[in-house]
This record gives sequence, structure tokens and C-alpha cells, in this order.
Amino acid sequence: MPKILLVEDNEMNRDMLSRRLQRRGYEVIIAVDGQQGVALAQSESPDLILMDMSLPLIDGWEATRTLKGAAETKHIPVIALTAHAMSTDRDRALEAGCDDYDTKPIELSRLLGKMEVFLGGDTGTAAGTRKGA
Amino acid sequence: MNQVPFVEDIETYAQDIVDTVREPLLMLDTNLRVQSANRAFYETFHVSAAETENQLIYQLGNGQWDIPDLRTLLEDVIPTSSVFNDFELEHTFPIIGRRVMLLNGRKLRAGSHSAIIVLAMEDVTERRRSEADLRAIETYAQDIVDTVREPLLILDTTLRVQSGNRAFYHTFKVSPDETENRLIYELGNGQWDIPALRTLLEDIVPKSSVFNDFELEHDFPALGRRVMLLNARKLQAGHHGELVVLAMEDVTERRRAEEEVAKAKEASEMANRTKSLFLANMSHELRTPLNAIVGYSEMLQEEATDRELDSFCADLEKITVSGKHLLALINDILDLSKIEAGKMELYLETFELKALIDDVAATIKPMVENNSNKLHIERAGDLGAMRADQVKVRQALFNLLSNAAKFTHDGSITLNASREMMDDAEWIVFRVTDTGIGLSPDKIVRLFQDFTQADASTTRKFGGTGLGLALTRRFCQMMGGDVTVSSVPGQGSTFTIKLPAIVHEVRAEVLGDDVADPDQVVAGIDRSTDPIPEPSTCVLVIDDDLVQRDLMRRFLSKEGYCVRCASTGEEGLRLALELLPIAITLDVMMPDMDGWSVLKALKANPVLREVPVIMLTMVDDPERGHTLGAADYVTKPVNRRRLSKILKRYSCSTPECPILIVEDDSMIRASMRKLLEKEGCRVTEAENGEVGLASMERDRPSLIFLDLLMPVMDGFEFAEKVRDHPEWRTIPIVVVTAAELTGKERRRLNGYVETILHKEGNSKEALLQQVRDALDNNAVPRIFAA
Repeated sequence: MPKILLVEDNEMNRDMLSRRLQRRGYEVIIAVDGQQGVALAQSESPDLILMDMSLPLIDGWEATRTLKGAAETKHIPVIALTAHAMSTDRDRALEAGCDDYDTKPIELSRLLGKMEVFLGGDTGTAAGTRKGA
Repeated sequence: MNQVPFVEDIETYAQDIVDTVREPLLMLDTNLRVQSANRAFYETFHVSAAETENQLIYQLGNGQWDIPDLRTLLEDVIPTSSVFNDFELEHTFPIIGRRVMLLNGRKLRAGSHSAIIVLAMEDVTERRRSEADLRAIETYAQDIVDTVREPLLILDTTLRVQSGNRAFYHTFKVSPDETENRLIYELGNGQWDIPALRTLLEDIVPKSSVFNDFELEHDFPALGRRVMLLNARKLQAGHHGELVVLAMEDVTERRRAEEEVAKAKEASEMANRTKSLFLANMSHELRTPLNAIVGYSEMLQEEATDRELDSFCADLEKITVSGKHLLALINDILDLSKIEAGKMELYLETFELKALIDDVAATIKPMVENNSNKLHIERAGDLGAMRADQVKVRQALFNLLSNAAKFTHDGSITLNASREMMDDAEWIVFRVTDTGIGLSPDKIVRLFQDFTQADASTTRKFGGTGLGLALTRRFCQMMGGDVTVSSVPGQGSTFTIKLPAIVHEVRAEVLGDDVADPDQVVAGIDRSTDPIPEPSTCVLVIDDDLVQRDLMRRFLSKEGYCVRCASTGEEGLRLALELLPIAITLDVMMPDMDGWSVLKALKANPVLREVPVIMLTMVDDPERGHTLGAADYVTKPVNRRRLSKILKRYSCSTPECPILIVEDDSMIRASMRKLLEKEGCRVTEAENGEVGLASMERDRPSLIFLDLLMPVMDGFEFAEKVRDHPEWRTIPIVVVTAAELTGKERRRLNGYVETILHKEGNSKEALLQQVRDALDNNAVPRIFAA
């Protein structure tokens, strides 16, 4: 069961995405700012990190740079979640070391597709009984 | 009849003369019976000698000469005098029509003959007519001149007024008597004695025959301050000689109206930009809650499906679909308002077209097939890669394809992509062809406008935001291309997108914003490997020392700046104007023109004033003391605009910015406090350096305004103490100076400028580090080598 670290400060976005991922069988741990995100990445060793970019305390770019600069966390794939059409955010995310990005609002099937690239076959159980939309 | 041949000879001779005269002549006896006539008479009046001779003049040609005036003349004047001159007779003659004849008569005694009257008739009809015409033309010309509502003066070449028109007299409230035959400068107590007009009339008029639209602003006694538009023509006016027509048009109101229009235009553009910014922010705020609505309704839908609550599913889907539609609308509005506000950026990257097209095709396929359409993809073999904003290209294609899918049923939709050469450049051309309902010409006209679907009923039937095509066009134009359409109603449409194969960054003006505002340049983020240095990204190094120049050049180039050098102040100024560099490093000690003079010239030039100058100086003069390292300067009295610029530059425009004013003059302190508080700053005052330092212990300011000459502790000492303090070192100091600095002040005040660096007493590395920091602080953009 892949363990996903979701770093997101907006409560509703956090709630939605974590519940929808859990429905699909992922284990989701949550951080509400960049600092907590870095700490949990170190202590929990998640399989993948979903990182919002505009975060309090330490922003997503800074947090990613920290994670990618540390030996024990640099192998964890980071998918940046950036605002719609903010090409500069996207650009900066990749420069900070993010492995991929997806734009908000989240379209779940698209995000799952990107996650599967990094998680390989481990998520075969996650497809569930979802229907269009 | 005559017996003497000699007399006959003379008579023949006389007749010959008479016949030679081209003017009709009649010879009458005193009974007014015609003795003879000359050839000209017969020819002119088309009569023969037989009809004429021995007839009473009144009987000639069926009485055509029976004219009352002629009777009076012949019967009353001739008997009493032997001559009459220039009797003008206007009469309608049967054959030759109405004529004006000038009659001259002589009573002669010719030898043995009794007295005869010679009547000469000159036909002056034509002459009289042309004289009348001339008079008419002159009247006509005068009428025109008087009718023109614009004041006119007719001058001779000595600038003496010949006449004015009615409008002139009326406008300037003068009479013809006061005007005619006077020099223009004497008119109305010299109100026209205007230096600019003198130049014009005395220098320009003699050399050229015309001048147009010379604008003259002048206080006229009768009218007040007016702007007159002068036009002049030099005319050849027959016997009047050369004349100058001077026309004056009062354009005061027009100029005022133009100014108002310009102001209104500026205001409306400002308002439009504000609106766009508002929309952009607003859309962002709207999206956040909407994302939650869409997200949660999707989740509920999944849940309902799992629990097989089918009746809920349908309703939840309606909420999701509507939410997504609203979201799409908001996103389009956001994009459009961003473009309008000049905030839309291009993200240029190189990508394979095949992959892009396959991806777009896969995304659009289900939508195309919804209406039983077939999707055809035609890719040219040599398609290769393009450099553009991939997201925008994709969105443009998607917009065109989804439109085609919406308006076509049971037909086909073709996406064709090719690489074409046009005007020596490579273009990528996408054509989206459908077999759908097509568009009439009047609908095509409205097609690309914002919020316009071809007609309102389409929105209800087919959905959509009505912004897709407008956005597609803006995107294409941002990338230097365009989108066009051709269509036949009932048969289908073809939309064609043409984009440069290699897109370069664009300027905002291209997008329909014609305000040439350099701040609005939309810089594409270009991660290309070869930076092309442009003049506007250059740092200008002004230094007379070759070694120093070389050092700076190598260092700055390595840092990613384009560098240009000048070895003298003059060359530096010239290059600065030519290059408009992003920053200038300036050596203080140079022969000929020293750094301070160069600096003064730079700051005096409005084009160069804002260019940050980094002064490089040797601390070789103990008299000069320490340099201040001031960040900027303002002159007294402090100007509000300058102040708010400084606040902005030091990111101090946010409310509650703590500011310290160190100044001994309480009046200046009070006025600056007022200005700064208006800008939302929190102000602390100190009347000298010592008080200032004490106050800083309690409350660290973000910015210091510093007077130099103060009692107890002056500005120089204060600045030095601040710079020595590790926690205060970075606080920008803005020096408040009198308008003109003395040489001595100037020598001590190295702080007219961004920062002052010392060449000695520091290692080279430290010096270069300072240059680097100074450039960074000024947010100078640079180009990095890959």
C-alpha cells in the first residue's frame, strides 16, 4: 500500500484530496506547511510526496530543495501542485527539483496517472469502482 | 466726275486709307445721308455698298441704325460742334446681335465737297464684357474672403496690410481704418508684434511662397490668451503685385478639447487596466470556493455510485458539470483579463509536434465521437519540433477542435499540421476543417470578439463560454501568429492557425495595448542555451584605468552581464545614451571629466536618471574622509512624487513602514512627516544624529532620511555610525540635500547614488562582491550562460 505525503495548507483541498486518495487505497499522511512536510518526509519515508507550492513557514520550492538536497529524502518523488496557468510556478517547481507537476484544480484521474508513473505497479489495487467525471 | 486727275488721285488715296482702317467708318453728309462707308463697315454689318450709299443713316439695314441715342447725338451734338468722342452706344443689331459700340465723330471739309461727318464705330463689346468679368471676379474674390469665417489679412511684401476680411475685423474688434495701410506689427497697439511672428514673416515668407500650420500662442488684448494656427500663401495678384495672404485660425478650443480627450483616454486606459487587474484577482478568489464545490460534489457522486443511490447520482452530476462549466468560464475570464492587463506570460519551450498532436487528438476524440463524427489527423512528414508556449498551442488547438465537434453532426473533423516557408521564415500551420453547419460572413465578423458566440441561440444549444475563440486568437497573436477562418454556410468551416516555428518573446503592444510602457513587456521565460546579449541588458563600466576596466569586464561577464566599457566620462555619457544600460559603474577619479561631473550629467538626463550608478572610488584622500554609502538622495524642498518613488524602490510602500527622519529643521521634518504619513508610513523624528542613533536603539527603521548639516552630530558621522553597526548596516539611507551641493559637500557626500564602493582597503574579491550586491539590490536582470 503506497504511502503518500500530502503537503497542503488549504484545509478543504487537503480534506478532499486525502479522502479521495484513501478511497483508492492509498495511505495518506498530511502536513500543513513546508516545515512539517520536510519533517514528516524524514520520519515517515513516504513513497511519494504531493507538494503544494504556496505554503506558510517554508514554501513548497524551498521544502523541495531541502528534501532533494538531503541524502535520506532525495529519492522520494515529488509532484508539485501548482495554481492554474502559473507557468512561472511550474518552471520554478521543476528548477527546485520536483519530478513532475500537476495543476490545480486537481483532476483526480490525471493526477493518479502521474502518480502511477512513479509508483510503478504497486497501485494496481487502487483503481476501485470509479466512474467518469 | 472730277476733272482734275490729281484730285482723283488724292481721293483714291484717301479711300484706300479709309478702307485699310479696321474700324467701321461711315461718311455722312450734313443731312445724315451716307456718302460712303469703308470695307470694315460692310464686313462688320454684313451689308453691301448698294444698300448703304445715299441712304439716310436711319434707313440703313431696315432701320437698324435708327437709335434714339444716335439721333440725339447726330442731330443735337453734330450741328453745334465739329467733334464728339467716345460716345458709347449699346444696341441690338439684327445680324450681329447686341453690341456695345464706341462712336467717334468728326466734321470735315474735304476740298470742294461740302462738309462730311466721319463716324467711326469701334465694337467694344468684348472689352466691356471682360472688364465686367474682371470686376465680377474681384467682387467674387472679396465676397469669398469676407465669407470665410477665419480671419484673413492681405499684406504686401513690405508687410503692410492691404485689407482684412470681415472675420478679421470682427474677431480682433478693429476697424478697416485702423488696419489698412499699416504695418502688421502696428495693428491694434502692437498686439501683433510677436517675435515668433516676426521670424516667420521676415525669415520664412521671403524665402518660400507658403507656410502651413504655424502655431502661435499669444495674449491678445481683445481676446485674451489664444492659440492661433497661421497659414500663409504668397500670391501674384496682377497689378497688385505680390501679396501675402495670412490666415489665422483660432484653435484654442480645439487644443483644449484635444488635451481633454488625451486625458480622458489615459484615464480610461488606466481604468481598463484596473478593471483587468480586478478581474484577475477576483477570478482567483472565485475559483477557490468553486474548486471545493466541484471536488466535493465529485466525491459525493463517487460515494453515491458505490452505494447505488442512482437518483442522487444524476443530480450530483448536474452540480459537478455546472460547477466545471463555471470554472471554465472563470478560467477563460482570468486568461483574458491577464492578457489585457499585460500580465500573461509566454513559457517558451521546444517540443515535438507529433507528440503534441497525438495528445490533443486523444483528448478530443471522445468529444468528436459524441456527435457521430470521425476525426482525421494529417501530419506532414517533416513536422519536427517547434519552439512555443506548448500549453497555449494545445489550448488553441483544443478550442478549435471542440468547436468543430460541437457544430458538426455525422460528419468529419480533420486536423492538418504542416511546416511551411513564408517570408523567409518557417511557420507551423494547423488547419481544423469540419463538415458542420458553417458560418455566414456576418457571423465570421463577430466570431473572434470576446463573449460573442455567433448568435445567442448557439450558447443555449451548444454551451461554451464564448471566449474560446477570442482567447485562441490572443494566444496566437502573443506568439507572433494568428488564427483565420474561411467558411461556407451548410458545408463547413476551416480554421487556420499560423505560428512561427520559433516563437520569440513579444511585447504587450502587439496585443492591442498601444501604450508604449516598457514595464509592460511580457518577457518570455527563455531557457535557451545561447543567451543573446541585448543592449538593454548591459552594464556600462566607465573607468580610465585599463586594468580596472578589464577586471570589471571579466568579472561582470562571468556573472552573466553583458558589459560595455568607456575610458572617459564623455564616451561614457555617449554610450549610456546609446545603450540605456541596466546599471553603470563609475570611477570617481578620472582626468578631463571626473566621476562627479559624469554623475551629475547622468542624473540630469531624464532618460538616464533612473539608471543605478555604482561609484567606485579610492580612499586615498584623508581630507575626503569616509564615504557615506547613501542609497539615494532627495533635494529640498522634498517633492512628493520623488518621495513615493523612493519608498517604492526600497519596498517601503506597504503601510506601517517605520521611517526615521534625521533633520534639524523642524519645518522640513514636519512637511516630510506629513508626506510620509500620507503614504502610510510610521514616522519617527530626530533633530540631530545623536538623537537619531538613540531612537534607532529603540525602534529599528526600514529607511532613513538624513540631513547632512546638523548640530551636535552631523549626517556624515551619523551615517558612519549606522554603517559600522552590524544590525543597521543594511538600512537604506536617503540623503536630504539642498538643491545645489557645494564642491566640498559633494566630495564628502558620495551618496547621490546607489552605493559607494572603495577600491582600496578591500581585496578585489570583496570589491567585486560589493558590485554584485549592488547590482542584485537593484534587481538588475542578467543573462546566465547555460
